[in-house]
This record gives sequence, structure tokens and C-alpha cells, in this order.
Amino acid sequence: MMSLGETALLSLLHLADSALPIGGTAHSYGLETLAEEGGLTPGEVETFLSAYLEEAGALEAVFVRLSWKGGNLRELSGELSARKLARESREASLKLGRRFAELVNGMLKQSLLETNLHYCIAFGAVGAAFGLPVDAVVLAYLNQSIAGLVSSCQRLMPLGQAAASRILWNLKPAIVRASLSEEASCFSPYLELASMRHGSMETRLFIS
Amino acid sequence: MRQDPPWKVVRAFVLPGSASLVHLHNVSGGVLAGDRLSLDVEVKAGAAAQITTTGATRLYRHRAGAADSEQHVRFSVGDAALLEYLPDAVIPFGGSRHVQRTEILLGLGAALFWWEVLAPGRLAAGERFAFERLRVHTQVYAGPRPVLREDFLLEPRQRELSATPRMFEYSHVASLCVAQEGRPPKFWRVLEDRLNEIARERTRPRQDVWGASTLASDGVIVRGLSVSGCFIHEALIEFWRTARLAVWGEDAAPPRKIY
Repeated sequence: MMSLGETALLSLLHLADSALPIGGTAHSYGLETLAEEGGLTPGEVETFLSAYLEEAGALEAVFVRLSWKGGNLRELSGELSARKLARESREASLKLGRRFAELVNGMLKQSLLETNLHYCIAFGAVGAAFGLPVDAVVLAYLNQSIAGLVSSCQRLMPLGQAAASRILWNLKPAIVRASLSEEASCFSPYLELASMRHGSMETRLFIS
Repeated sequence: MRQDPPWKVVRAFVLPGSASLVHLHNVSGGVLAGDRLSLDVEVKAGAAAQITTTGATRLYRHRAGAADSEQHVRFSVGDAALLEYLPDAVIPFGGSRHVQRTEILLGLGAALFWWEVLAPGRLAAGERFAFERLRVHTQVYAGPRPVLREDFLLEPRQRELSATPRMFEYSHVASLCVAQEGRPPKFWRVLEDRLNEIARERTRPRQDVWGASTLASDGVIVRGLSVSGCFIHEALIEFWRTARLAVWGEDAAPPRKIY
């Protein structure tokens, strides 16, 4: 069982707040296409996100963990870019990483972090810099990431607050499983296609 | 050229523009449990090669005590050279276990057109995602820059391939990777838009769906999902011809076979 001091716990809760002002609410990562075309309905959100966690979630968890361990973060980010095939989702991840780094650097009044990293890599690196335990950092990242996707679903379809909260609660075991991934592996062609096709939609609520 | 069984180059043809087309055959008829196949190709600077298979790559059922079959393909494409790698579909039979590794390294100005099709199994025999395990590892580099990295593990009995993020209601997945070392991002964005126009025209919901995206650097990828292998190659050929004109300035010469 990991232990966190009071300040560490508060720092992690702050950094992993899905309402952090870094622009996360502007991105759906292809969910908007799926919702528009009927590929995702309120009743399917939980099973969808469970499968998402096994693929894209697990991949990002690996990169949070790798960045927490250190090394060449820019190179790591380049490798993750090559694994994110859909441009809109790739750019969204980089944009959030930049704004997250700028926010943290601004709060600390020092240049702690490079601003050209993927969000999950920036998050892992900040967790390490703050001395937060890696397992907690990975879990917190995945939890806020899923909370963001559920929030997107609420704006895309008739999904109420209580139902959204229940979905997030039910997904905790899947988040834990994804956080333990050691292999950079992801198979999500339909979601990638949804992201690739998002730019062609006539009206869009989200940037990605 | 060195060739060891079961690989055999059965025929080579001259293509327009003095490129060569090579048919590669696995004389054992398919990949057997425990097989470890390796293919190394070097396209020298300024050369052009088109490589295809003579039929689908059939992955046979796993045999107790045998290791997972493995196929490792490595391409080194020299400066200003061209590689077109256009294999037929991979068909994992029921009960098969397989690892597929593909590594492609592009030199300065080198170009790549590579398609790949994964079928769900022998549909005519009632097999659909009846294989046990399929691991795929792919990496394409333009010099030191990673263009495309893809690793995945499919275990249909453990993880539903019909889950929405994966394949939804579709059964076949196809990709066309187009890359040329040194092209600027703007070039790929223009090509992405053109390929997405074709993708929109080609997409027929509940039958097949297509999309295109620039890659991390030096390339673009077209992805497709389909309910049948019948709809895939006509689309891939159209995407390939469009991309080839844009990248290489010449129309494509499809392999001599019926798709």
C-alpha cells in the first residue's frame, strides 16, 4: 500500500483535478464522432471506457511510469507521438502537455518542465519532481483522464451526473489494472478512425 | 540474394520506370507452429523495389509444445530509394499463436508504400477471431526519427475484439503507410486532406470505414475497417495511387494479381 504525506496528497489531488485549467474539456479524442454516428450510447459508455483503459489507457500508463523514472523525456515523447496515429488526438495530447507544463512552471515560478511533451509524460515527470510515489501518479493520471472522457460524454449525449458518477466509480478496478501495465501495447483502430474522421464532421463541439 | 526454405522468390518482373517486382512465396503453404521466419531486404540507394506475396499469409493452428510461430521482416531502404511492400492479407487460423515483427528504416529521401491487411480467420470455415494469440510489433524510422510505432497483442478470448474502441462491428483491419524521409509536415497535411476526401467517399457505414492522418513525422497513414476482405484492396489501391503520384510523381503499377 503506497503512503502519501499530507502535502504530497494535496499536490497530487490538485494536479490530477480534471478541471485543471489546461484545456482538457475541449477534447473528446474521437468520442464526438462515435456519439454522432451512434457508435457510442449512454448505456455503452462504461464498457467502452473499460476497453479504452485496456488499450489507450494502459499505453499512457506505461509512459507515465517511464517518464517518472526519468531519462530523455523528449525522446520518450517522440516515441509516443509515433504510437499515436491519429493527428488530432496526438496534437491534443501535446497541447495539454504544453499547458500543463506552463501551469506547473507558473505555479512554481521556475522552469521545472519542458513544454513540448505529451501530457502523460509531463504528468509523470512532475510527479517524480514532487517526490510522489509512481503508482499513485499513474493511478491519478488515469483517473483524471477517464473523468475527462466521462465529462465529454455528458456533453455529447443524455448522460446524467449520477450516472456519470456511477460509471467513474465502477471503473476503478479497470483503472487499477491499466495502471499496472508494463508493455507499451495498444489496439484501438475504430477509435483512431473516429479521431481521424473528426475533422470532417460538419459541426463540432470539441477540438478533437 | 540468399533464400532458405520455406521462402522462395518465385518470379520477378520489370516494372515501368525500371523498378522490379518480386513475388515472394512461402513454399510450405503457411506458417506452422514453431516456425521462425526471417526476411531481410536491402533496397540500395536509388533503387526501386516492389515486393508482394503470392497469396495470403496463413497462420496455422498452434501445436502443443511448440513455440509461437514468428515472422520477422526487416527492410533497409537506401538514400533516394523506393520500397513498395504490398503483401496479401494475414489470416490467423483458429487456435494459432503468432508473433509478427516488421522494422523499416528509411535513408535520406527514401520512400515507402506499405499496406497490411489482417483478416479475422477462415470465415468460410466458420472461424472468426478464433485464433489464440497474435502479437504485432511494427516500427518505421526515417533516419533517427520514429515515424510509426505500433505494438499490440490480440487475444480474442481474453479481450473482445468487437469492443467499440477496437473493431466495433467490423472484422478486417487494413493500413497503408506512406512515408518519405525529409518531406515537410505541410506536405503531409495536404496529402492527409486529399486522402481523407477519398476516405469520405469510400466510407459506407456498416460495410467499411476509412480515415487518414499524418504521422508523427515524414509520413501519413490510411486506416480502414471492413466487414469483408472484398472491399479492401480496391480502396487500398486508390489510396496508394493517389499517394504515389503525390510523393513519387508517378502512378502506381499494381501487382499482377486479381484482388
